[in-house]
Amino acid sequence: MAERLAFVAPRYAGDGAVGGAETLLKNLAIHAARMGYEVDFLTTCAQNHYTWENTLPPGARETDGMTVRFFPVDPRDEGAFLRIQQQIDRGVAVPAADEALWLRNGVHSSELLAHLAANADGYRAILAGPYLFGLTVAAATAHLDKMLLVPCLHDEPFARLATIRAMFGAVAGCLFNSDAERALAGELYGFPDARARTVGMGLDPFDADPRAFAARRGLDAPYVLYCGRREPLKGTPLICDYMLTFRERTGRDVRVVFTGSGDIEAADALRPAILDAGFVSEDEKHEAMAGAVAFIHPSVNESFGIVLLESFLAGTPALVHAKSRVLVAQCRAAQAGLWFRHYPDFEAELLRLLDDPDARAALGANGRRFVAREYAWPAIERKLAGAIDALLPRRG
Amino acid sequence: MSDNEQLLSIGAPGLDVDRLVAEIQATADRKMRDGVYSDARVARAEKTNLVHLRGTDGFLTFYLACLRDAVFVDISDFEIRERRSAFAPALVALKKVIWKLLKFYTYRLWSQQNQVNGLVITALQGIEEQTEGRIAKLEARVAELEARLGAAAVPGKARGDG
Repeated sequence: MAERLAFVAPRYAGDGAVGGAETLLKNLAIHAARMGYEVDFLTTCAQNHYTWENTLPPGARETDGMTVRFFPVDPRDEGAFLRIQQQIDRGVAVPAADEALWLRNGVHSSELLAHLAANADGYRAILAGPYLFGLTVAAATAHLDKMLLVPCLHDEPFARLATIRAMFGAVAGCLFNSDAERALAGELYGFPDARARTVGMGLDPFDADPRAFAARRGLDAPYVLYCGRREPLKGTPLICDYMLTFRERTGRDVRVVFTGSGDIEAADALRPAILDAGFVSEDEKHEAMAGAVAFIHPSVNESFGIVLLESFLAGTPALVHAKSRVLVAQCRAAQAGLWFRHYPDFEAELLRLLDDPDARAALGANGRRFVAREYAWPAIERKLAGAIDALLPRRG
Repeated sequence: MSDNEQLLSIGAPGLDVDRLVAEIQATADRKMRDGVYSDARVARAEKTNLVHLRGTDGFLTFYLACLRDAVFVDISDFEIRERRSAFAPALVALKKVIWKLLKFYTYRLWSQQNQVNGLVITALQGIEEQTEGRIAKLEARVAELEARLGAAAVPGKARGDG
């Protein structure tokens, strides 16, 4: 009889919900099912991570070789949540009661937790993430002995809350996405290496025509690309600020392409140079990546960087923020990207990629080789199975 | 095999992103010192990056140099346009009338604001230069005291050894 695994995530990736952590958990679950585990994916009916409105019908669906169970999000006091979140974000120490209130009113589902409690005995392991959601914390603290946290940890004020520290101190183990994230957990919580494994997520290889996207979208100039949520936390306003200045100072007609969701905060002067492609298919995203001069990833709060690895796989080098230790580590390991501290670095590096096609091609080739070797799914599946066996050995 | 050699073996021969980034950053640092980036547009571009730059050596000097170029608001006349094609001539004429009526007041306002901006940036640069000078003197003094302390400790160590 197949062993059962439960995955817990606040949203189910796809169908209008996009997020790196959600995508990662979904893909790990799909591959766990392919490896022979019987997988229950427990999630909420919400798609929007700001409103957490229940927009999907509750109930179970068989999809991707597993059972996905949707549960409604509990009513929330959004005012209390935002008030405390702003305090935490500003680095203000909040009392334990406020931490609990913040977690309770983020995203929470009593029905999901009740289902988990009723079925926990049947699961070999429960994998939940990302770390900072009330749902994850509640599931983890209720089932510490079976909990393998997939934290997607960032160096941010939320990570320093006492509740979060206590959760890391008590769970059976953590599956980190990168060694840099694992090191961060060591620094923040003294998280022991014996309870940690680095797994990450696999990427399926693809070939993409580097001219297809530009031809389809009528782009007649080189372009840089960002894919994902457009929001200040991801650093997208910085892309607009830098690219406006880059175009003005250098006189180069380099366009800016965005895929994904969210508003783009850009000055009017940059608007004509922006192509907002919105949600695109995976194939079109890969074509956009393959044709870009560079993939720009300015976020400093990343635990993995799926789109960065996809851009490497598309043969496109990346420009990342020097403050993002995870993305810099990936650029360094792949020898496929450069990092900038400020605008002067950015300008010099983008000019180098534009003017030195050999260097750009060499970086791109490095990235493609690196991801194909290090992030092939068979390797990740072995790491996942190994991590479960090592962190939760079979009894008897 | 060193870590560096391991990294190099992953990719194309001769390509080392650490070295490439270090070269680019050294060039950027030199150009910053030479004033190549002392530009209001760079100050504007960095507005969302300030939080990451605060602890960087020499950042304040660089940023103030950029701001120096940005503090003076352009208050001269400008071409008045209208993007909407319908009634464009009438709208342009209306805007010109409004501008002429407001110009007297806005000119006075902005010229005074420009003076204040200039004085504030000069004061900030002065404070920054003074602070840097004081820190440099203190560092030199600490180094001198440490050297004296080290020299004084050597005979003691020799005695202990003996």
